Amino acid sequence: MLKFWRNPEFVRHLRAELRPARVITVAFVIFFLCALIGLACWAERQTELENAIRYAHQYDGKWSAYSENLQHDNVRLTWLLLAKWLLGLQAGLLTFWSLFSCAQSVTGERDRKTWDFQRTTSLTSAELLVGKLLGEPVLAYFASLCVLPVALVAGFLGGITVRSLAAAYLSILVTALFLGLGGLWISTLLETRSRGVGLIGALAFYGFVIGTFGFATSWFPGLAAFSPLTGVYSILEIRFDNGREVTPMLFGHEMPWLVMTLLLCGSFGFWFALMLVRNLKRDYEDIRLLSRWQAVGCAAFLNFVFYALFTSGVHNPQSGELATFMVAINGIILFAIGLATLTPHERLKIWWRERIAGTGALFSENGLPWPWLALSALVAYALMVWGLLAWRLSLDFHVRSLGMAAVQLLIVLVFITRDVLFIQWSTLTRLRQPIVKGVLFLCLYYGAAGVFTALAAVSSEATGQIAMRLLTPVGVFDPVVEWPHVPASVYGGLAVQIGLIAAIIVMIANRLARPTLAPVASGD
Amino acid sequence: MIEFIRLRKEYDDLVAVEDLSLTIPQGEIFGLIGPNGAGKTTTIRMACGLLAPTTGRALVNNIDVAQEPEQAQRSIGYLSDFFAVYEDLKVWEYLDYFAHAYKVEESAIPARLAEVIAQVSLEVKRDAMIRGLSRGMKQRLGIARAIIHQPKVLLLDEPASGLDPKARLELRNLLRTLQDQGTTILISSHILTELEGFCTSIGIMEKGQMVRSGRIDEVTAAATPARHIRLSWLGDSADGIQRELSGNPQVSNVQVNISAGTFQFTGSEDDLAALLAKLVSSGVRVKSFSEIKQTVEDLYMKLSKHEVM
Repeated sequence: MLKFWRNPEFVRHLRAELRPARVITVAFVIFFLCALIGLACWAERQTELENAIRYAHQYDGKWSAYSENLQHDNVRLTWLLLAKWLLGLQAGLLTFWSLFSCAQSVTGERDRKTWDFQRTTSLTSAELLVGKLLGEPVLAYFASLCVLPVALVAGFLGGITVRSLAAAYLSILVTALFLGLGGLWISTLLETRSRGVGLIGALAFYGFVIGTFGFATSWFPGLAAFSPLTGVYSILEIRFDNGREVTPMLFGHEMPWLVMTLLLCGSFGFWFALMLVRNLKRDYEDIRLLSRWQAVGCAAFLNFVFYALFTSGVHNPQSGELATFMVAINGIILFAIGLATLTPHERLKIWWRERIAGTGALFSENGLPWPWLALSALVAYALMVWGLLAWRLSLDFHVRSLGMAAVQLLIVLVFITRDVLFIQWSTLTRLRQPIVKGVLFLCLYYGAAGVFTALAAVSSEATGQIAMRLLTPVGVFDPVVEWPHVPASVYGGLAVQIGLIAAIIVMIANRLARPTLAPVASGD
Repeated sequence: MIEFIRLRKEYDDLVAVEDLSLTIPQGEIFGLIGPNGAGKTTTIRMACGLLAPTTGRALVNNIDVAQEPEQAQRSIGYLSDFFAVYEDLKVWEYLDYFAHAYKVEESAIPARLAEVIAQVSLEVKRDAMIRGLSRGMKQRLGIARAIIHQPKVLLLDEPASGLDPKARLELRNLLRTLQDQGTTILISSHILTELEGFCTSIGIMEKGQMVRSGRIDEVTAAATPARHIRLSWLGDSADGIQRELSGNPQVSNVQVNISAGTFQFTGSEDDLAALLAKLVSSGVRVKSFSEIKQTVEDLYMKLSKHEVM
């Protein structure tokens, strides 16, 4: 592996983005902005000080002491305010720019028709990845570097320790790299002329990552470590949740936010990097995010993270609540794994011929994804048993919750398998963007199922419940459904969906059985 | 050397390339010809590792491109009809980027840059921004990129589309020079005159299949076993010539008018010389007597219409 500063892709961005004229302009603008922010901070502190002095003259007492303290500490507080602003701006700039520049990287190369030339060089996927990850946002890194000395001086004069400043910068850098990986991942999945979709995807991803801040007060406070806000807030001792200090937990032990950020961004970043290294140099049609075993590993990892980060806190939930929550989460995980392991038409056809010849295995890299979904669900259930037993002292544990979770997970698995197979069938048709259209058709189906359920519920609540259980997996989460007395309509829904799965597999088989044709050549 | 072993590519329900087996020895300039949609681009994209074959193998210098892409790509130069370049770089920066990306030895890069820039006549533009270059200059820069790492194999997909006549001539000369240096070149085109005169071998593709391939003289011989001869004469000898030629068992397809004609001849060089001598001795005042050379276009038209299949 090349050193990153000698990576040709990084050097290309460095040369293109940091021409002398631009470097001087950016540095000048940054110092000017720092000066303006400094003046604004000074003005704010002065206003507060003047107000305190005025109130001290008017009311004396506590105000006098407060104004004396302010006068004594005003310089330090001004520098501290400036340091906080500059840190916040650097965090916003680096994370946002990393994500958005990387999210346009591969799509941009595809648009400019330069991507094929990069793919035919001797650069490995990993080298291209490093070059793009650090090269695309190089201007943002330079701008941050310009702010750095001012922020450091302000931080030291403001009383922030070296350790806290180092931790803040490490947290920002790690989050920026993680978001950059996410951006590259989004960009790799998009065809040409999809930059708008990419930007919307990147915006949604950024919103999600920032929004994980809200997990701080959930059963999984550690997930808030994804958000760049959390690390900076914590390090700068800004309280959230009405002043209550929240600390992330790992296996029931308190962890510093920085360590949690490193762990989460590192481990999730690893999965992004794995998917990118596998696919970056592949043709768009050949992209398969994960191998089948990697997909099962990813499902296990995601489940494991939830149990590792769980904390009962003040909620003290029942084991059934946690199990139901994890089944719902596994619905999302299984669907994502299903999408990540869809088999391209060409590979599926090869597998199909092997299957006809009696050499294609059911658990095959090129086969249908459903056996792997079932395996992922099995692993998820095994982890659920482990997780609930491991947390039994913190939960109101009941063995029956395991039985109910098994039924719920089975129903979710069957519905997800049906949906994934439907999308797999869509990829065999001549639809443009078949995955997007397949997902839209599924949304349409669930919308229609919802309307049908609502109409059925008009005649009686029981009819509505039966319709819901037959047509959607939501019915099994109804609190009235309890282990071991699961209503027959739940099993009826299971049977209907298995029948649908069989029908979709027959449709897929019919598609694959069609003979291949020679292209119609056109003369000039 | 380039070798395809039962190379096949399927798109959905279409077979773009069907079990192609072909060996192109070192130093050959192999012209891949065929109409749009024949599978030429797909073949080249599989050969340079941009596309994974459905089945079969593509070997470049005995390295499997699908198995060891980066290793194989060190010895492949690829150029497509799109001469896309990075507009925000200078000419030398662009070539330096690709020299590093192809992992050319660091110490050799400056000299190699100078050499390649001279080869494509861009010396005066070395420090110019690419966005300021004309289209022709950008195309020449694209060619320089493809050869910056001195590839042993050059894969060119419609490389001259959009080039002006002078640039085409320069490209042709450059390819001849590279061939002299031992580079194997696979060039695809549907503009047959583009390949005329400098391909040593050709392959004709139709509907994903290689209809015929080999050295041009061999393909010509196989496609047209009879020589096509043109003659012209002075005076009124048409009837005599018609009689003389029709009476020769090695002659066929005689077509004569007042002062010129053509016929096909299946004999040897000596037989042909004897025929000419006989015509002259019989009093025909022969003005010209020459063999009509088959062009790539003629060959393609014959073979693609399955005249000799």
